[in-house]
Amino acid sequence: MTAAVDIESVNLNLGGKLVLSDLSLALGPGESLAVVGPNGSGKTSMLRLLATLVKPSSGTGTILDRQILSPTIREIRGRIGLISHTPALIGELTIAENLEHFARLAGQNSDDCTRALHVVGLEQVADRRVNESSFGMQRRTEIAWLLVAKPDLLLLDEAKSGLDVDARELVDVMIDLTLGRSGTVIAVSHELSQLGSALHRQMHLISGRLEPLS
Amino acid sequence: MSFTSQIREVARVDLVVERRTGETFRIVLPFAIVTLIIFSLSLGGDVAILRTVGPAVFWAVSVLFGMQLALRASALDSPTRRDLMLLLDLDPAARFLGRTLASATIVLVFMTVLFATMVVLFDPSLPGGWFWPVAAAISLAAIGLAALSTLAGGVAAGTRNRSSLASLIVAPLAIPVVVGGSQVLEAMERNSGILLWILLLITSDLALLVAGVGLSRPLEEASR
Amino acid sequence: MRRVQIMFLVATTAVAYGAYLAFTAPLDALQGEFTRMIYIHVPTLWLAFLAFGITALGSIAYLITKKPRWDRLAASSAEIGVLFSVVGVFTGMVWGQAVWGQAWDWGDARLATTAVMIFVYLGYLALRHSIADPEVRAKRAAILGTIAVIQVPLVYFSVNLVRTLHQTQSIRPDGSTMPTEILVALLVNVGAFTLLYVVLMMARMHVAVLEETRMSATVVAGDAVAPPRLSDVKDV
Repeated sequence: MTAAVDIESVNLNLGGKLVLSDLSLALGPGESLAVVGPNGSGKTSMLRLLATLVKPSSGTGTILDRQILSPTIREIRGRIGLISHTPALIGELTIAENLEHFARLAGQNSDDCTRALHVVGLEQVADRRVNESSFGMQRRTEIAWLLVAKPDLLLLDEAKSGLDVDARELVDVMIDLTLGRSGTVIAVSHELSQLGSALHRQMHLISGRLEPLS
Repeated sequence: MSFTSQIREVARVDLVVERRTGETFRIVLPFAIVTLIIFSLSLGGDVAILRTVGPAVFWAVSVLFGMQLALRASALDSPTRRDLMLLLDLDPAARFLGRTLASATIVLVFMTVLFATMVVLFDPSLPGGWFWPVAAAISLAAIGLAALSTLAGGVAAGTRNRSSLASLIVAPLAIPVVVGGSQVLEAMERNSGILLWILLLITSDLALLVAGVGLSRPLEEASR
Repeated sequence: MRRVQIMFLVATTAVAYGAYLAFTAPLDALQGEFTRMIYIHVPTLWLAFLAFGITALGSIAYLITKKPRWDRLAASSAEIGVLFSVVGVFTGMVWGQAVWGQAWDWGDARLATTAVMIFVYLGYLALRHSIADPEVRAKRAAILGTIAVIQVPLVYFSVNLVRTLHQTQSIRPDGSTMPTEILVALLVNVGAFTLLYVVLMMARMHVAVLEETRMSATVVAGDAVAPPRLSDVKDV
C-alpha cells in the first residue's frame, strides 16, 4: 500500500450546498491526522466521504488504493472503521448480541467479541440491552467492535465527547493499536483538546475547506 | 459471509427485534381484530351478509394492516446504523431479501391469526378442501406485501411523514395481492380453477422481488 | 419567439380546431349530446397513459444515466399525467351516469386501473415533496417510478381477470360502427391534446430548471451558523 488516503481537489455537494470545497489530503500507513472545526463546517461529511458512504461530486485520488469515483471503491468498506457521533447499535439487542451480529455479517470470529468486551470492561453488562445502557457503554461497545474488526483506516467523529477518563483512554489505545498495525487514523472534533496528542498532524476545517492549523 | 447467510442473519435479527418490541402482537393484531368487529357491527350483524362478506373483509383488513406491519418502526434503520451496515460489507440485496423474509414471516403469522378470528366472527361457508389453497394464498400474499413494503419503506426512509407516505405508496400497488388472494376462495366457490389466481400472486411476488434486488443498490446510494 | 410560445400557439390552434370538429360532428342516436364527451374523455385518458409511460421511461433513464433532465422529465410528466387522468376519469363518470345510468362501473378494468394509477402517482408526487435533497429525491423517485411501471400492468391484469370471470353485463357500445366523422374528430382531438401535453411538458420542465437554479445558488457549509456575539449578551 502506497498511501492510505491520497485525494486531490475533492468537492462535495449535498442538497445544492457545497459542503466540502477543494479538499486535498495525503496520509500514508501509520500516519494520523486531527481535524478541528466548528459546528457545521463539514467534519462529519468529510469522514463519511472518506468512509466511501457519500460519493464526492468531483475530484481525483485514492482511498486504500481505490479510485474515489470508481464503483469498486465499495470493496474497501470492510477495511474502514467509523465511530459516528451517535452510536449505531441496535437498541433492542444486548451489547453482546450487537457485537455478534456485526461479527457474523462481517465474517469475523465471535470468540473475539467476548475477548473485546473484556478489554473494554463490559463483560459484566454484556447481556444488557443497548437501549438500557448508558452512552458511555454504547461507545465502549463500538470500540470493542473496532478491536475485533481491526480496520486499516480508522475514522473518529467526536469519539471522545461525553466519555469518562477511562473510555477516553480506550479511544487513545484504539488509535495507538491502529497506528501500530500501520493503519491510518483521522479524528475530527470541534475541540482540539478532545483529539488528544496521539495524532501526528493537525488541521483546521472551516466552511468546507481544510487548512493548516495556525 | 455468504449471500444466503447474510439474508438469514438480517432476517434473524429483525425477528428478534420484533419479538422484543412486540409491535405485531401487542398492538397491530388486536387493532386489526377490533376492525373486524367494527365491520361486523356496521353491517348490522346480519348473519347472511356476514357469511358472504367475511373472506373479503379479511383480505381488505389483512392487506391494510399487514402493510403497516411490514412498515413497522423496528424495520427502520437510523442513518448511523445504515452507515455501519454498509461498512460491514452487507450486500444491499441481501439486506432487502432478509428484511422481506422477516416481514413476510410476521405478516404470515398475523394473517393466519386474523383468518381464524374471521372464521369465528363471520362464520363464512368455506368450500371443501379450502385449507391448502388458502394457506398458499396467504403465504404468497405475505411475501408480496413484505417485498412491496420493504421497498416503499426504503424509498420513504428519513422523510418527515415516512409511515403515512409509505402506506400511500404501497396501498394502490398492493391491488394484485388483494385480488389474487381474495379470488382464490371465490373461485373455489364457483368451482372454477384457482391456478390463475395463484399464478397472479406468484407473478406479482416475483416481479417485486426481482425489482427489489435490482433496485437495492441504487436505493442504498440514495439513502444518505 | 421562443419554442414554447410557438408550440403553445400550434397546440391552442389544434385544440380549437378539435373543439370545432367536436361540436359539428354528428351525434350518436343513443347517447345524444353526451357523444361529445368522448372528445375529451378519450384524449385525456390516452394522454394520462402516455404521461405515466414517459414518467417510467424518465425514471429508468435517470437510474441508468443519473442525468437530472430525466428526473425533470419523469416528474413533470407525472404531474401532467395526474391532471389528465383526473379529467379523464371525471368525464368518464359523467358520461357513464348519463349513458349507462351508472357513474362507476367496477367491471371496467380500465376505469379501475386509471383510478388506482392516480393514487400511485399522487404517492410519487408526495414522495418527491417529502425529500429536500434533489439528488436523493431524484434517485428515490426514479426507483418508485420503476416499481410502478412493473406493478401497474399487474394491477390492470388482475382487475381485468376479475371482470372477465365475473362477466358483468354492462352495455358497452363498441367503436365498431363509429361514423367516419366521429372517428376523424376523435383522432384530431387526440392529436391536439398530445400537442397540449408537449407544450405543458416544455413549460413544466422549464419551471423545474428555474426551481433548481434558485435552489442551487451555491451555499457553503457553515454559513448558516454565525459565531456567538458574546459582547451582546448584556442586551438580552
